[in-house]
Amino acid sequence: MRMMDCDKVDEIQEENDTVSLCSLHAGTETFGIDTRKIREVLGERDLQRVPMSPPFIAGVVPYRGEVLTTVNLRALLGMEEHLERCCVLVMEDDEAAERFGLVVDSVGGVVTVSQRMLEANPCTLEARGRWLFAGAYKMANGLMVQLDPQKLCPSRLSETGLFRKSVNGGMDASPDRR
Amino acid sequence: MDDLTKEFIAESQEGLDRMERCLTELEMRPDDAGLLGEIFRAVHTIKGTTGFLGFDRLEKLAHAGEHLLGSLRDGRLAVTSELISGLLRLMDGLRAILLLIEETGGEGTRSGDEDGELIAELALLNGEIPPAQIESELLHTVVDTGEPAASVRSAEQAAKISGASGPPSAAANSERNGAASDKTLRIDVDVLNRMMNLVGELVLTRNQMLQSDMAAANFPELARRLDSVTADLRETVMQARMQPVGNLFGKFPRMVRDLARTCGRDVRIEFTGQDTGLDKSLLEAIKDPLTHAVRNAVDHGIESPADRVLAGKAAEGCVRLRAFHQSGSVVIEVADDGAGIPMERVLKKAIERNLVSEEQAAGMTEREALQLIFLPGFSTASAVTTVSGRGVGMDVVRANVEKVGGSVEVESRRGQGTTLRLRVPLTLAIVPSLVVRSGGQSFALPQSALVELVDIPQKEFARVVQRIGSAELYRLREHLLPMVWLDRMLGLAPDSPDTSQGHYMAVLEADGCRYGLVVDDLMSPEEIVVKPLSPVLREIGLFSGATVLGNGTLALILDVGATASRAGVKPIEEQTVGIGAGEAAIQEVAGELFLVFEDRARERTALPLDMVERIESVPLERIEYAGGRPLMQYRGELLPLKDHGNVLPELETARAEGAEVLATVLICGDAGRAGEQRMGMVVRQVLDVSAGTLLDRGAIGDEQGMDIALVKEKLTLVRREFGAKATAAWQEVA
Repeated sequence: MRMMDCDKVDEIQEENDTVSLCSLHAGTETFGIDTRKIREVLGERDLQRVPMSPPFIAGVVPYRGEVLTTVNLRALLGMEEHLERCCVLVMEDDEAAERFGLVVDSVGGVVTVSQRMLEANPCTLEARGRWLFAGAYKMANGLMVQLDPQKLCPSRLSETGLFRKSVNGGMDASPDRR
Repeated sequence: MDDLTKEFIAESQEGLDRMERCLTELEMRPDDAGLLGEIFRAVHTIKGTTGFLGFDRLEKLAHAGEHLLGSLRDGRLAVTSELISGLLRLMDGLRAILLLIEETGGEGTRSGDEDGELIAELALLNGEIPPAQIESELLHTVVDTGEPAASVRSAEQAAKISGASGPPSAAANSERNGAASDKTLRIDVDVLNRMMNLVGELVLTRNQMLQSDMAAANFPELARRLDSVTADLRETVMQARMQPVGNLFGKFPRMVRDLARTCGRDVRIEFTGQDTGLDKSLLEAIKDPLTHAVRNAVDHGIESPADRVLAGKAAEGCVRLRAFHQSGSVVIEVADDGAGIPMERVLKKAIERNLVSEEQAAGMTEREALQLIFLPGFSTASAVTTVSGRGVGMDVVRANVEKVGGSVEVESRRGQGTTLRLRVPLTLAIVPSLVVRSGGQSFALPQSALVELVDIPQKEFARVVQRIGSAELYRLREHLLPMVWLDRMLGLAPDSPDTSQGHYMAVLEADGCRYGLVVDDLMSPEEIVVKPLSPVLREIGLFSGATVLGNGTLALILDVGATASRAGVKPIEEQTVGIGAGEAAIQEVAGELFLVFEDRARERTALPLDMVERIESVPLERIEYAGGRPLMQYRGELLPLKDHGNVLPELETARAEGAEVLATVLICGDAGRAGEQRMGMVVRQVLDVSAGTLLDRGAIGDEQGMDIALVKEKLTLVRREFGAKATAAWQEVA
């Protein structure tokens, strides 16, 4: 019995050590989100823009009988608008019980990484980045920045006030155009 | 508890609910044999089933009741208010036992003798000396019921007791109903059959899809069918969830009656809009606040009969409950014709209680002052009954309604009464709305806020749109209407810079504001299902929700009132409200709006407005003939045309002369109503929309299959096939 218990503990440690992340792309950068926090990858969808909404809101999309509010990752990062069709991921936030969508350029695949590869945010990172990123994994082909879905939730983004002001200052809902 | 008993309880409770409604009606119409029959049946069914299930106590009580009702039915007794009270108490007794059975599984023989008193009383009402067996159980009652004079007194006493205990028992009722109706739902068998059919269809389509593959020729067709079956099924299920508000209103006559007796008031209760559908869960949520509001209206709103007569009003007060859809929500109004809320006393008390400072109070408008009654400090009973005569637990009412995302408004006119308005959002509720396009996006406008639609062709734009400074106004029948451009307000890029198409303007009215919303295009009217938006998007404050349109895309639902205030449209001030109220009064009396048009030369003809779905201007070429009858293709269906005024031959002649001719066609018939086909009516000219009164069928009208109505004090013929329906609708309202 004791032996088996020990084995189990080892296994758990092993599991704790590795994390499976879903990789996604926005612009030239690669991001990762814990797969357990992703409910579904919707793929390419037509988004309905919401006029007068905060700049980081990409729009709304119908999802299983609900109207899902989506957050535009590019807008959060201050990048230009993606001209081609975007990919929507459905996030589920257990604590806030609020479902929302994340709009990215494309979704890569599932990567399993060791937690030991995680580096904390650099102290030189500006406030927006500090809010959005939860460290980065050192991958073979560069860094994969980890995102914390809880912090991407639209109501929390709006609470922080970091992303409230649109850079173009207009009443327009579209993301930054600079 | 076995299924049989469960079923019996649910069934009996429904029977008793029906009985309750019938009893209060019976008091007003004592000669209605149908009502009596209904009540008798309810009690009889309970008696019959209980004997079979072995609930002796219930059976005994039901038997006593049935006996009394039997005498009543045979005409040996007259309906008196004591009798009604006795029967109501019988009902409460039956309910109490049912509840006991539901909770414990048994009817509790230990407390069986509790019914003795009630049974004796029922027997007494029946004009009998209670049987010896019961007499011995109830010595104290029987002692003073020996002589008839005393018996009347005791019945009166009993009535008082029941009156006094009215409110708590009503509260208990609502709790119990809540428990029972949460578990079961009454669905129209037709709806259920339709669901079953659709599920069958779904299975068949799936089978076919499994057998064919993506490349098969009929695959797109299958996908389409699957799509439509799913949509239908969804709609049917939604429909099943919707409950008429009337279900909730049902218990009020009894409550008002009991309460009026306790407070020494003379109160009548009236309902409108019982058919307004509301999602079941919301219905449950507003039950308590509404009960509270009705109780307040009777208790504090309506004066005593003597005071009313002194004030020059009818001794009998009236509480009106009205339910309707308005700008994306369901509104339930509780209006009384009592004394209204005395403003200065509200302010005085508010200052006393340190809720506001004296300076603040002095600067308050009446509307603001009324809001004070919703403050928690205002809700203690002593403060309210002596001060404002209103507001017991108004903060609780508001809190409850706000919990489901609704709002409460109060409106009071000195000496004329108070109106409390509960506005419930219609998450899940279905609203008829008009889909419009602006700046390349679709928006839904609730039909309830829509007054009329105006087409502004580009060439006429400069003529009809007038400017004061930067504000644009539209001159609509000699009234200036502020124009709001939806795309500009929302900061959307115009759909097409090419404006040669002209514009459409939807004349909207909400919260007392009337304005014209300019949009690029009008799409179809649709019954939409409202989906809530996330908090971030609700913050924008302009959209009350979103909906998935028939074509699968999303549309935002515009909050008409909020749009008005965002655009700076102010509510029309008092004097104009007066006019508006006058108009409303006419509508209330007439009950119907008519579309007045000309088909035969020099004659005014009308159709009830709600029968006309759309007015189309079509090129004459589009009107085709089959078997000598004119037809038109309209949205994929073939529309038979009626041409009462022989307009078409005239137009044909005009076309033969080389002119470009347009025919005006009224698209009639409600597409939402089953079994009714749309038809078109060719008319010479559309004249007006206006309220009117339907006169008795005159000899002139009768011969031609028409009714005569008075619209704007001019004689107008109303087409019979629609007129008849309109009359039926009026009688329902009355």
